Amino acid sequence: MRDKVRDINSGKTYVPPRGATPRRLAAIVAGDISGYSRLMQLDEEGTHARVKRIQRDLIEPSIAEHHGRLVKTTGDGFFAIFDSPVEAVRCGIVIQQNMIGRNASLPSDQRIDYRIGVNLGDVIIEDDDIYGEGVNIAARLENIAVPGQVFISGGIYEQIKHKLVCGYESLGDRKVKNITDPVRVYRVLPDPAAFNKARRRRENILIVLLSFLLIGIGASVLWYWFPYQKPQGQVVTRTSPKLPQPLSPRPLAPQPAQAAPPAQELVRPAQPAQSPAAEPKQAPPQLQAAAPAQPPAPPAATVHEPEMNMLRGGSLMMGSNEDASEKPVHAVTIKPFAISRYPISVREWNACAAAKACQFTAAGREDAPVTNVSWNDARQFVGWLAAATHKPYRLPTEAEWEYAARGGTQSRYWWGDELLQGMANCKGCNDIASVEQPARVGSFKPNPFGLYDMGGGIDQWVEDCWHKNYVGAPTDGSAWTEGDCGSHVIRSGSWKNDARYVRPANRDSYDTGVRYPTHGFRVSLSP
Amino acid sequence: MKIVRLLLLAAALACLPTAAPAQGKTPAKDALLYFVWPQNGAVIKGGFWCRFGLRNMGVTHAGEDFPNSGHHHLLIDVKEPLDTNEPIPQDKNHLHFGAGQTETRLELPPGKHTLQLVLGDGKHYPFNPPLVSEKITITVR
Repeated sequence: MRDKVRDINSGKTYVPPRGATPRRLAAIVAGDISGYSRLMQLDEEGTHARVKRIQRDLIEPSIAEHHGRLVKTTGDGFFAIFDSPVEAVRCGIVIQQNMIGRNASLPSDQRIDYRIGVNLGDVIIEDDDIYGEGVNIAARLENIAVPGQVFISGGIYEQIKHKLVCGYESLGDRKVKNITDPVRVYRVLPDPAAFNKARRRRENILIVLLSFLLIGIGASVLWYWFPYQKPQGQVVTRTSPKLPQPLSPRPLAPQPAQAAPPAQELVRPAQPAQSPAAEPKQAPPQLQAAAPAQPPAPPAATVHEPEMNMLRGGSLMMGSNEDASEKPVHAVTIKPFAISRYPISVREWNACAAAKACQFTAAGREDAPVTNVSWNDARQFVGWLAAATHKPYRLPTEAEWEYAARGGTQSRYWWGDELLQGMANCKGCNDIASVEQPARVGSFKPNPFGLYDMGGGIDQWVEDCWHKNYVGAPTDGSAWTEGDCGSHVIRSGSWKNDARYVRPANRDSYDTGVRYPTHGFRVSLSP
Repeated sequence: MKIVRLLLLAAALACLPTAAPAQGKTPAKDALLYFVWPQNGAVIKGGFWCRFGLRNMGVTHAGEDFPNSGHHHLLIDVKEPLDTNEPIPQDKNHLHFGAGQTETRLELPPGKHTLQLVLGDGKHYPFNPPLVSEKITITVR
């Protein structure tokens, strides 16, 4: 700057510097690892080595291959610039898809997920760094990106929309930190087939290797063992009459009954099942207090939030003419909201139980959906999650659930009008053995909104009270909570229900305070 | 505690392959499950209140495990036999009354329908032998 001024003052002709132009238009790719500090906490050296390897083997070559330049790397991220927006986004997709493959064989807590943001902007380029608002916006886009995905700005979108064949989902105008004007954000949806291929391969390996029988037996034993955690410590209760005895159908109940009052370990002292609201408020202090004291509890100090998909608002024709409860079909508008990509898992539930904010510790595989929860239980969980994260987590409304489940379609199922084998976890719709049920979350293809298990798997509670049909239902997407609230709406149908129940329009009800082995839930969040 | 649990787990693992577990608890000897209303063969116009009767056992909430008690399940037009090793299914043909209800308002499409009550224990399993009512047939006009 100073030089320039002097040039003018001295009346000399200004000669633009030859070598590196100080400013230029570039597509900026910003990437970083989501949950890097958590990974470092788990295994510092291992994580560092793996991140370095990924940078060396994947990121640097990908950038070079797409004619970009790696400007700088930070501990967990990188910045690169490209002359071509198309190449920049391609590079982002290549990195993400490669990461899926690399993560496939890792347990979920060791996975490295990059978030990538791409923006087009006028930037100042130096040898080892870049500056400018365009860079900041790229970094912000990366910040709001869902792990494993590429978010792009409106500028990039305009450049590539007809050139790069993949899906783009508009997420609307987003306000980003320290940038005055809102930024238009798009999510890149690369070819979903590749994604699912990777997933399926992993499943097959898992199924074959993890000797099926042992797991099945283990799971069912645990299932019989703790299933309906009694709040009271009565010994009479569960016993293990379910413990098999090879010869006689009547097992000797007393032995296991004395030996296994697991009730002690199952947290909650006596609490009538229907007292949801009071509890969660006490949660956060307890949570913090409890976290350091209980080493076995997984990293409870920071609550691991469910993975959420942000959905832009829209409208849908809610309901169908297939069942009296689904009539009349009516138009509903939905405001933008986020909904968890998967049903809440046993792992996520047990974090709440460990914080003493949920009433029982769920048994079963950690990545299976939590089941046997009543609506009251589900509300306790979201209450705890909201308090622990200071974010307004809640149950989805019934309209939001159907909007999310339809994924922009009006067909009988989200994939069309005909039932297809292997698309959902319902009775007679797939070949999952019954001992493996409920199958882990995300075992089937996601719908067009990138959501898993929206139909089949487990029944899912929503916020609304049960009404026998839609006469008088709200049309603004809010929860319908007037009237007799003795029972609430469940959606999705479970692995024990046939294909009729997987339809996004299907609805059913169940008593609010009662647990049932196929009932679970997912969470939602208003922006 | 842990050791005991592990031992039991091992024992269970050993037994599991040979026998399917019998789930149910034994109902009271003289327990009787029946429809107060409607009666078998009734012809009904429109919606109606269906009322459940239980003699010599108690109705309680699901989740509670008091001896000699359970909660109602109403099976509408169910043809499959009852599986006593599984929780009573939950769908539009298997209505649950886990809050201890003893009646419900039914609105069935016109035609012949079968109704049957099944008592479930705290975990929604049928008793063993199952405590069920007579399967009645009604006609809705």
